[in-house]
Amino acid sequence: MANGEIISGFIAPHPPHLVYGENPPQNEPKSTGGWEQLRWAYERARASIEELKPDVLLVHSPHWITSVGHHFIGVDHLQGRSVDPIFPNLFRFDYSINFDVELSEACCEEGRKAGLVTKMMRNPRFRPDYGTITTLHMIRPQWDIPVVSISANNTPYYLSMEEGLGEMDALGKATREAILKSGKRAVLLASNTLSHWHFHEEPVPPEDMSKEHPKNKIGYDWDMRMIELMRQGRMDEVFQLLPQFIEEAFAEVKSGAFTWMHAAMQYPNLPAQLHGYGTVIGTGNAVVEWNLVKAGLARMAGKAA
Amino acid sequence: MTIVSAFLVPGSPLPHLRPDVDSWRQFKVAMENVGEKLRASKPDVVLIYSTQWFAVLDEIWLTRHRSLDVHVDENWHEFGELPYDIHTDVDLANACIESCRAAGVNARGADYESFPIDTGTIVACNALKVGTPELPVVVASNNLYDNQAATEKLAALAVACISEKGKRIAVIGVGGLSGSVFTTAVDPVEDRVVKKVEDDCNKKILSLMESGNIQALREALNSYAKEARAEMGFKHFHWLLGALDGHFKGAIVHHYGAIYGSGAAVVEFSI
Ligand SMILES: [Fe+2]
Repeated sequence: MANGEIISGFIAPHPPHLVYGENPPQNEPKSTGGWEQLRWAYERARASIEELKPDVLLVHSPHWITSVGHHFIGVDHLQGRSVDPIFPNLFRFDYSINFDVELSEACCEEGRKAGLVTKMMRNPRFRPDYGTITTLHMIRPQWDIPVVSISANNTPYYLSMEEGLGEMDALGKATREAILKSGKRAVLLASNTLSHWHFHEEPVPPEDMSKEHPKNKIGYDWDMRMIELMRQGRMDEVFQLLPQFIEEAFAEVKSGAFTWMHAAMQYPNLPAQLHGYGTVIGTGNAVVEWNLVKAGLARMAGKAA
Repeated sequence: MTIVSAFLVPGSPLPHLRPDVDSWRQFKVAMENVGEKLRASKPDVVLIYSTQWFAVLDEIWLTRHRSLDVHVDENWHEFGELPYDIHTDVDLANACIESCRAAGVNARGADYESFPIDTGTIVACNALKVGTPELPVVVASNNLYDNQAATEKLAALAVACISEKGKRIAVIGVGGLSGSVFTTAVDPVEDRVVKKVEDDCNKKILSLMESGNIQALREALNSYAKEARAEMGFKHFHWLLGALDGHFKGAIVHHYGAIYGSGAAVVEFSI
């Protein structure tokens, strides 16, 4: 029974601009495109998901912030309209999401057993955050794979980065336990931007790519340094540098998704596949995959372990 | 004076979702009471700033004539929903946007169905019974890159702009006092300001408000934001100071207490 496994993990950033640039029917504002490099990166990630055929997608987003513990969506289905509070001109999206409540509850329980404060979100009128929705849409626009949605407990900001990332490490390990016991094949999504310095004015139109470039050199240089280490599989070094990266590049990975995901995958020193990199209003975004099936660490769909 | 009343109120949903908890209900009651005082001051419009409405690029103003929806708080979803029906004076909000632009502050409106109005704005409108068709609001966001001085400037600009139209204004700053909270489940009955030093800082700042000694208050504010981990650098109070042109005669603290470890107060300013 206990035959579940994590088959792949992605850094899957959530700028709503990517949804806006794609023009899916669910999003009310329409664009003439833009941010193609990142959208093509997501096309490659989508192809990987198609091949992997996961039973469940788990997503950790920095835009569902909780101050008491780690929360998990615990209702079967949510639908409604999500409007981005920062970019309401770009993202007004009609979502319809099915959740894997059984696995959410298992993650919640394993977290509790590991000493974390955890809580199920049972309110049927709850609105998932736009980060979760954007990441899910960009990775699987068919919306046909059930989801486990996890909040970002704000300890990295409220206490210290070290304590906060320690919490995320424990959450990742608990998530792994739950997945192993579930018998399911899971993909993890760390919904995080890398360098987070951004412009304070939006071009007109927002998709004018002649205005899109890294906000500053320090952010860009850090992104390239971290991505190169990831591509080489030097993940120990990535994690050693992470606090400095967060400080100097104002990186959104501070919110914990990246640490959660790698802890759940047991910090594999595996070369990552970079599906692509691009900036969004100056911030650095990479779609990066650690495919454990390709690495021989997990089985293909339909093959017993 | 076109400002006819001014209030500081907490933006936590707990007093409204859990009025069964005695200590939390007292905030709700105090907010309802100051709501009566606000309405008795006969304003034409209520100018609101809530720390929980984050803006990052431009200064965003609510420009939707009527916002009708049901809100679920991202932290306290288990305690139910906050329905709301908020009416905005769109012409005045647009005038504030124009006035921001003229002053070199990037600004724009938010007029979208299902726009995520923040918990603080919702609880303030509901408890104080403002944002009605008879008493509409103008709501400004908290740009995270604005400091205290920029927030004062923004409020002053909004007041000048609305006054120019001959309107009487009530002003509300929505936010808490000290910011440390319990990070584990606590029995609400056991709630208290989690850190003694923050409790002391809160009491000191409130007594300075009561005294109306603005100079001493301004001096204390410098260290208060840091020592008390004040919510959002206490920018909601700076909003009030900016709106009041840096002057008030004193204050009545209608209630002070704890909300899940943080400090909070309902304060009415004498102007
Ligand atoms: Fe983000």
